[in-house]
Amino acid sequence: MELRLSDLKDGESGIITSIRPHHRRGHGEHRRIGRGWGFRKRLEDMGLTPGTRVTVVKSAPFRGPLEIYVRGSRLALGKGMTERIYVEVER
Amino acid sequence: MTKNRLVIALAGNANVGKSVIFNHLTGLHQHIGNWPGKTVEKAEGTLHYRGYTIDIIDLPGIYSLSTFSIEELISRIYIAVERPDLVINVVDASVLERNLFFTLQLMELETPMVIALNQVDMAKKKGIKINYKKLEKALGVPVVPTVATRGTGLYELLQRSVESIEEGETHPAKMKYGGEVEERTEALSELVKKIHYPYPARWTAVKLLENDEQVEREICEINPEIISAAEKLADEIEEIHDHSCSTVITSERYEIAGCIAREVQSIVPPMKPPMRERIHTVTTHKIYGYPIIAISLLAIFYFIFTFGDYTSGVLSDFLYGFEGLFRGEIVRELIWGGVIEGIIAGVTIALPYILPFYFVLYLLEDSGYLSRIAFLLDNLMHKIGLHGKAFIPLMLGYGCNVPACLGCRIMETERERLIAGFVTTLVPCAAQTAIILGLVGAFVGIQWALALYIIDLLIIFLLGRLAFKALPGEPTALIMEMHDYRAPHLRTVLQQTWFRLVEFMKMAFPLIIAGGFVIKLAEVMGLLNRIVDLLSPMTVTWLGLPAIAGIALVFGVLRKELTLIMLATLLLVEPGQTFAHVLTPVQMLVFTLVTMLYIPCIATIAALIREFGWKKAAFITVVEIAFAIVAGGVASRLLTLAGMQ
Repeated sequence: MELRLSDLKDGESGIITSIRPHHRRGHGEHRRIGRGWGFRKRLEDMGLTPGTRVTVVKSAPFRGPLEIYVRGSRLALGKGMTERIYVEVER
Repeated sequence: MTKNRLVIALAGNANVGKSVIFNHLTGLHQHIGNWPGKTVEKAEGTLHYRGYTIDIIDLPGIYSLSTFSIEELISRIYIAVERPDLVINVVDASVLERNLFFTLQLMELETPMVIALNQVDMAKKKGIKINYKKLEKALGVPVVPTVATRGTGLYELLQRSVESIEEGETHPAKMKYGGEVEERTEALSELVKKIHYPYPARWTAVKLLENDEQVEREICEINPEIISAAEKLADEIEEIHDHSCSTVITSERYEIAGCIAREVQSIVPPMKPPMRERIHTVTTHKIYGYPIIAISLLAIFYFIFTFGDYTSGVLSDFLYGFEGLFRGEIVRELIWGGVIEGIIAGVTIALPYILPFYFVLYLLEDSGYLSRIAFLLDNLMHKIGLHGKAFIPLMLGYGCNVPACLGCRIMETERERLIAGFVTTLVPCAAQTAIILGLVGAFVGIQWALALYIIDLLIIFLLGRLAFKALPGEPTALIMEMHDYRAPHLRTVLQQTWFRLVEFMKMAFPLIIAGGFVIKLAEVMGLLNRIVDLLSPMTVTWLGLPAIAGIALVFGVLRKELTLIMLATLLLVEPGQTFAHVLTPVQMLVFTLVTMLYIPCIATIAALIREFGWKKAAFITVVEIAFAIVAGGVASRLLTLAGMQ
């Protein structure tokens, strides 16, 4: 099933399906990059492209960032950002 | 044609050992400055090899050549437009896939290059073996395995680099995207070839499909038809893949990088988790992580300020020993008070405080602990619109604002550097703490001193948020690689420390000396009373302070730690007097509040100029002085209203 990366439990992995703007704005088509898309380009440049497997190692307390493992390296991602990354998980 | 001056640039991801290689190659022949008009550091150095004089440029550590950050933009303009003779791409062998993603982009820029496959020892420890000959073949670029921290392979790297320049021709393999992307890239690059543009045609075509803002803008000025053609092609690709074209291209580039990585490396992970993994787990632990941060920071704080205090005292005593030589004539006093005291002020800040600070900062950064601190404290710092890394300069501000300001460069974007720089200058430094404790703490009550600290924290929070709201741009959330822990390379750290210290002294000393000279001149010419009169509407009427306190405030800009001594010399004229005899508690509180909030000192202003340029430094200075005066007057009235005397 499709979940937000932020919803994954420690140790769980998933395959990235898409990175969306803030979820409240709905799931419409966002093909051309508009304003506020810089973060997506940045995430993709760091290797978080659709089809990539990510593993959540742990999250920092008080809604802090997530430690994830992707493409052989370890990244820290701010909480807000992990809410916009959608992943396919087998549960 | 042969020339004997060569330019080689070092490029690669952050934390791959670029600066170790840079320091190894250039030794003591280096110069640290900023890229013109930017707050991004530019490290240059020279070396002599086989009759050549080689300029080495250390480009900032980046992950991509898009335009997400100024560092990326600077690097790509430098490589494509300035065209160094060669780029050495430093690649971390233990994270090959991510590093090759960047390599592929360099290859697209069609720059002559050599790859330094660095940290092969680290990779081996992680069970990763790389067949570098195979990698060389796959990329069509010379690959030299290195262990920069031990100097292994660096001679060969230099040799291969120079050979490569001498041969003049490199044949990097052409990286092909998937059929539907490749076709359209080719079609578009045919169009781009017809116009005159400094970047390679194929690269430009890819960037246009990726919707790169800068390239689009520049091409649009030359020929807008190409943009519409690119948009049409990009739409077609999006139709096929159901993802944005830029996503498709990035994915495919990673796909190629992954393929090459899998082809050339074999991984046999070690059986039990190595030490550095266990350290990582503990230092980022939900509970243990925090006391570890607290202890480390206290230790650092203690180290810097014990060292600083002691060294500063010794230096100061020694240098003031020469004061006797400058007594008597007015010219001599002017030289002493106007010039030499300024130099002493500079020396007793730079060596004792800034030197150990830089040392510790680079140690923390190089070892990898800095990113763990940022990870745990990210949420806290978000409250003032910054992310985790900003905690370091903020905390150091309590010691001295100067290194704190300089430390703001660990933030990624110009916007965040500015907010962090602004906020750190509001933190009371050790000298301001001396005033808070020595005046308010001793004569009004320790609870009032504590209250001042709390008020200051609230002000930092409020002004931080305000700056965060007022400055244009998106807040950058934390996207940070936490590279594996490693033993920092001491020689590199020391070299980094030293060259940055020299750079700071060059910037700050003229300003400190000039400031001191002006004030001394005013004193010698008997202008001080005029200044007192001039300031009296502010000091007496608005703040309710004795008129003479104005002098202490003016001198405080030069050296904060002298403010209290100054105030004592000016006010305590009769023997046996204490501040309690000459100042009311309200006056003490107001005076302290103002000194706490207005611009820390001239050395901090120098640091602000160094980091943010004249305009922004002047703006921050004026805003803080104005804010301090307003706050002081308001406090004076409130306290009087509350019935305090």
